[in-house]
This record gives sequence, C-alpha cells and structure tokens, in this order.
Amino acid sequence: MHKLLDFLIRKRHWFLFVLLEIISLTLVYRNNAYQRNIMFGTANVVTAKILSLSGSVNSYLNLREQNRALLERNGELEMELLMLRDRMDAMIADTVSFRGFVPDSTERFPYDFIMAKVVNNSVTYASNYMTLNKGLKDGVSPDMGVISENGIVGIILTVSDYYSVAIPILNPKFRLSCKVLGSNSFGSMSWNGRSTRYANLDELPRHVEFQIGDTIVTSAYSKIFPEGLMVGFVSSFEKQRDDNFYSLKVELTTDFHRLNNVMIIRNYYQDEQKQVEREARGDD
Amino acid sequence: MIDHVIKGIVYFVTLVLIQVLVLNNIHFLRLATPFLYLYFIVKLPVSTSSVNMTFLSFLIGIIIDMFSNTPGMHAAACTLAGFSRPAIIKLYMGKDLVEGLSPSFRTFGYGGFFRYVITFVILHHVTLFLIESLTLFDPLFFVIRILASVAVTTLLMCIVESFNIESQKSGK
Repeated sequence: MHKLLDFLIRKRHWFLFVLLEIISLTLVYRNNAYQRNIMFGTANVVTAKILSLSGSVNSYLNLREQNRALLERNGELEMELLMLRDRMDAMIADTVSFRGFVPDSTERFPYDFIMAKVVNNSVTYASNYMTLNKGLKDGVSPDMGVISENGIVGIILTVSDYYSVAIPILNPKFRLSCKVLGSNSFGSMSWNGRSTRYANLDELPRHVEFQIGDTIVTSAYSKIFPEGLMVGFVSSFEKQRDDNFYSLKVELTTDFHRLNNVMIIRNYYQDEQKQVEREARGDD
Repeated sequence: MIDHVIKGIVYFVTLVLIQVLVLNNIHFLRLATPFLYLYFIVKLPVSTSSVNMTFLSFLIGIIIDMFSNTPGMHAAACTLAGFSRPAIIKLYMGKDLVEGLSPSFRTFGYGGFFRYVITFVILHHVTLFLIESLTLFDPLFFVIRILASVAVTTLLMCIVESFNIESQKSGK
C-alpha cells in the first residue's frame, strides 16, 4: 500500500499531464460552438476588451488606406446616383404620369445595416474566426450576414452582450449559395483552406455559360444575404468528375488581411422565413 | 526563489501580450506564424518540478487559445512540449546541471541551446498543426507550414535570447 502510494506521488506529473491533455483535447473536439466561444473565445469580455484596445490603435495605422477606399466608394456611388437620376429624368420625360401602381406604404426594404469594427481576425488557421465589436445590445444576433465595402465577409456565429464572433469565408464550415451574375443557377461556395484570396464554387450546373473574369454574386436562396452582393470573380474552372457540374475557382474581392470596418446585415423577415420553412418541413 | 517567480510573471505577461497583439497577426508568406510565447517555457529554470512545468505550459497555452479562438489547440501542444522538456534537456545536457539555472546560450552553449530549442519547437509545432489540420488534411501544405513556422519561431527565439541582457550577465 505504502509503495503504491509512493509510486503514485512520484509519478504525479504523468497524471497531471494526462489530465491536462484530456481537458485540452475535449476543448478541441467539443462541437458545441456556442458555449465554446462564449467561455474561451474572444467574445469573452476580458479578452475582447484587450483586443479592442489594440484594434483601436491599429485602426489609426490604417486610416490613410481606409480613407482612400471610402473616397473611391463615395465617388462610385456618386457616379451611380448621377446615372440613376439621369435615367429617371429620361423616364419621367418619356412617360405620361401613371398612377396605377402604388406600393403599399407599410412595405419597406427588409434589410438594415449595423456598422461594426473588426477587433480580432485570424487568416492563417485552417478554421478562422473574427471578432466584431457589436453584440446583443446593438441588435446583432446569430445568423446575420457580414459584408465589407468590397464584398461579403461571413456570418455571425455567436453573440455576447457587446461582442460577436463571425465565421468568415475562410473557414471550411462556411457555405454560401452563389451564382454567376446574369444567370439564375446557383452553386455552393466554400473555402479550400489554402489561399486567403480564393474560394471554390462547386456544383454549378454544366449549362451555365460564363467566362473567366465574370462576376460571382450571392444568390436569392439565402436567408442571410440579399441577392446580388459582390463575392468575387471567376479565376479558373474545371469539370467535376461526374461531369454534370462545374467547379470554379473564385478570386474573392474582400481582402481579409486588411478588414477593419464591416457591416452586419439585419433581415427583418429572416425569422419569418425560417419559421415558414420549419413548418413546411415539420412533417418529416 | 521569489526572484524566479517575479521574473516568470514578467516573462509570462510580456510574451502573451506580444504573441496575441503582434505575432498572431504575422503570417509570413501566408505560411509561417512565429510562436514566440514558447520562450516562456524554454526559459523556465531547469530545476522546475515536472508538475509545475506541465501545469505552467498548459496555463500559457490555454491563455493563448482564449485570444486566438483556437480552444484547446495550443494548450494540448504546450502541455505535451512542457511535459517532455525535462527529457529533452536530459537528452542533450546529461544530468550534471547546477540547480536553479535557466537554459541560455551561456549555460547550454550555443549549439546545445539551439538544439534544445529546435527540438522543443518542432515537438510543439507538429502537435499544434496536427491537431489543427485534422479538420482539413493536405499533407504537402501541412509539412511546408510546419517547416516554415519552426524556422521562424526558432530564429526569433535565438534572436531574443542573444539580446536578453539579463540572461547573459547572470548566466541564469
């Protein structure tokens, strides 16, 4: 008995080692993403505070670049506004006043943006996550879309009171329904784990016509993103083995290395759509 | 003794902050990220008991995990590396080391310290990247990433070590 006790005490670092490894591996493989991120992730208040402090310093360093991008965007929008106004004038001039169609005054554009700042962002891991400085208190909830001024970024995964964690395109768990601009057939977008500049668009039907350099946008079949948001450009393509689908390599327009300000999309009808779909599926 | 504890805490806080605020954002050629925080484990005094060794490694690993959204990955790799550290030291330096020494260029010699660090770093990185890439396996890319990260981490550690004045003058 005494010897056994002695042995256990002498080898106690082995037991500690095994115990700690079990703890860490449980953390790695536990699939409950929600609790995981609240407890040990950057949505945790302390870590998020420190990271947002460093983020606020970093954002000053990028100001010049940000400013340039904003000016460019501003210019583009101004051009678009002018074009639209021009076209509208032409149309008004063309038509005799027609009051047959009056849209319902209660109808509104179902999307709304929440501006947020990226306080922590990883791009090198096989599964990447990013932390944003808006949370429940600002109206963010899981499954909202995140976009930047250049294109789509990801989807909100978990939310705490003041912070949220988003899952960007650069994560193998991310799936997004996309289409080639101008066609209506859609495919599924995912990341191949290598370069942060490219993602793959698979399962695109063979009959879709496109060329290298064509624009890829979000399709209408997503509860999360509005239709037609910029995703990237076709960079190369190949036939899949079963020959009925194309697999496209897409150059993403979002530069994940330099993300700073993003917009979270709130869809007022998302819950309703989800509920209806759940009811429809209720019988299975 | 108290000296070691204070020094340890300073190392711990500084290295964690440097790691999460600066180095986690470095992705050299989109391949290599230096994990300098291992310097904390590398510099623990030789006489540290195996229990403390394992526990401290776990602690710094889990804290890095919290900041980089990788629950358990760094913790698992660090625990293994920290646990094997006494064995690595014994392998290269034998048993005749003075109590209370910290590994450094002076105490281990240039070659000895380098060999010790690179073995330690390889062990840690292989574990870390293995755990990470279980979700998405791509052997060639995996090996390249490990080699690149090992090179960058080891280089950075040797640089920090040679500029570490306190470690040079006291030989601790």
